Amino acid sequence: MDFGHYLIAGVMPYVAVAFFVLGLGYKIVYWFKAPMHLHWELFPYPHTMAEQLKEMITEVFTLHSLYRFNRKHWLPSLMMHWGFYLLVGWLVVLLLGFSFAAYVGTTGGVLVLAGSFSLFLLRLLDAEVRKISAPVEYINLIFVFLLASSGLFSGFLGDIQLVRSYFLSLLTFKPDASIAADYLTPLLLFELFLIYIPFTRMAHFAAKFFTYHKIKWGELH
Amino acid sequence: MPAVVARKVFDDYRVLSDEALRPHEPRVEKFLQAMRKSLQQKENWTFWLPYTLSLDTCMKCGTCAEVCPVYQATGRKEIYHPVYRTDMLRKIYKRYFTLPGKLFPWLVGAEDLTEEKLNALAENVYRCTICRRCSYVCPVAIDNGVIVREARKIFDAIGIAPDELKKKGTRLQLQAGNATGMPAAAFLDMVEFLEDEIEETRGYRIKIPVDKEGAEFLLMHNAGDYLAFAETVMGAAEVMHAAGVDWTLNSPNTGINDAVNYGVFYSDVEFSAVIKAHVETARKLGIKKLVVGECGHAFEALKYLILRLIPPEERPFEVISILELEDQWIREGRIKVDPQKNPEPVTFHDSCKLGRLGGMFEEPRRILKACCPDFREMTPNREMSLCCGGGSGFAIMEKGGFLKFRMETYGRLKAEQLKATGAKVVACACSNCKAQFREIINYHKLPMRYAGVSELLANALVR
Ligand code: SF4
Ligand code: SF4
Repeated sequence: MDFGHYLIAGVMPYVAVAFFVLGLGYKIVYWFKAPMHLHWELFPYPHTMAEQLKEMITEVFTLHSLYRFNRKHWLPSLMMHWGFYLLVGWLVVLLLGFSFAAYVGTTGGVLVLAGSFSLFLLRLLDAEVRKISAPVEYINLIFVFLLASSGLFSGFLGDIQLVRSYFLSLLTFKPDASIAADYLTPLLLFELFLIYIPFTRMAHFAAKFFTYHKIKWGELH
Repeated sequence: MPAVVARKVFDDYRVLSDEALRPHEPRVEKFLQAMRKSLQQKENWTFWLPYTLSLDTCMKCGTCAEVCPVYQATGRKEIYHPVYRTDMLRKIYKRYFTLPGKLFPWLVGAEDLTEEKLNALAENVYRCTICRRCSYVCPVAIDNGVIVREARKIFDAIGIAPDELKKKGTRLQLQAGNATGMPAAAFLDMVEFLEDEIEETRGYRIKIPVDKEGAEFLLMHNAGDYLAFAETVMGAAEVMHAAGVDWTLNSPNTGINDAVNYGVFYSDVEFSAVIKAHVETARKLGIKKLVVGECGHAFEALKYLILRLIPPEERPFEVISILELEDQWIREGRIKVDPQKNPEPVTFHDSCKLGRLGGMFEEPRRILKACCPDFREMTPNREMSLCCGGGSGFAIMEKGGFLKFRMETYGRLKAEQLKATGAKVVACACSNCKAQFREIINYHKLPMRYAGVSELLANALVR
């Protein structure tokens, strides 16, 4: 096992997770500690915790703002988002040892692939969106696309036996880098992705909590 | 002398005269300094979170553009895209205040600021009324409006602001008590004149109390209403009188007698100076409730923006909208109305500041339904109401061809909406909206009139 291999499969996973958690954590704490701005809510807004939860969940799982007001972005975005949700789900069911994890992972991968591809095309072909896009917007989508393709085509997302034991070895801090030999590319991409997220708009899943709960919505009743 | 047409710096309009914009002076450095301050939590705590989150997290999906009245009305003109506008500031932000933008400007869309770009930005932040319709529908709840307002604040900090809002706005108001510059003697004459007017039209005389100390209600109008929309002022007085409550207006003798606060549109410094003067006036008069007349942004300021700025113990009075009172009194039977007195079909315009930003959706509707037998909704309405184009100071700005901008963009959409209702009267409860409707009806030759909610209510009163 060469050094690069060990680095990618044995060391980088920890570095990447640390970056992700600390980077995002830092941002979240920073936002939390921000001075309370002047009232700037929009009406009507959900007034109870339950209503807010319901609206947030509806938005997260159906992207209904896009559905209502920007239909052409809706399906591609929905695919990509559901793809990510399934990939998170994949990780959970994989670790719990369910054999259907392979289906969850593959479906997730396919959805992310299709979603990022169609969003890329949309951004490229629709002049209005193209005009408000910087190169980084395309790069992000390509990144996501590559990540999904390598996860799918290397077989990483479907090889649940091996991937599970590898992840368990990581979790128990006895990284068994050797068993991940065939999956260095998806691993590396995934690690870079984790490191990259806190520094980009892709952290919007965290920022959204603040833009909704602290800005768009007023105080609870 | 023919008006000198100012040089084009952005589009066919010029809100800022050369005198205000000073295009021949180097301003980039000063702008960047002021912008640096705006990005610091301590220096700009009032809006830091909404501002920086909006700068950082826009996904460039374009949903905002689908609902922006300016973008839609101009046939989707690129320069009026909400994100085109906010990107003008975002590019500067990235270039000078973020690491990726400093290292790889082309990659993240960061750009150097030039004097020309500064001119264009200064104009473009006055092509958006900060109606926040786009923010309501944004999937990430990004607020193009707050970015526009922050940019206006930065410009004001380097001395660039429309005269209508500053020199003849907040500054004049703080010095004269009202932004119309009306002295106390003239104000008192005006009130007497209104008493005469009421007597003439209704056949009975009522006393309009002024500067009464310790009254339960201090009613403060947008002072422009006394000159332009006196029917609303008279209507409100009749309602107060009919309700038999202990109320008063105030004159410049007792401080600020104008509910407006143009600081809401362009400056937190001006905003807080004016609102502090409001509070001081109310305290000096020792009133129990400050009633905001038919003025949207004044309601937003005194009802919401004030809350975290001035501690509760320093403002020992309640703030309510006149709409809340009128609605309550009708429901309690404290005042009686006969809807047959307003037989014409009536529609209602939700002012952005009262509705989407103030939550006042049902009160005006209940009042109007009680007073007008043929009430018709405009579509869309409530939280999706289209800004009429009078917001954020536009209603008092017309120089540099700007009236045409107001009429051809927001105004055109609103005119179409109004026509579709077939109503003969458009009711609204905001002074700036009324000023815009006056022009829309005239410019687009609509067979209808505008009216204040209080005016229609007063007309339906049964004594
Ligand atoms: S402001 Fe919101 S709606 Fe507009 S492009 Fe950005 S994320 Fe999309
Ligand atoms: S605040 Fe209103 S006018 Fe301004 S960009 Fe948004 S929708 Fe358009």
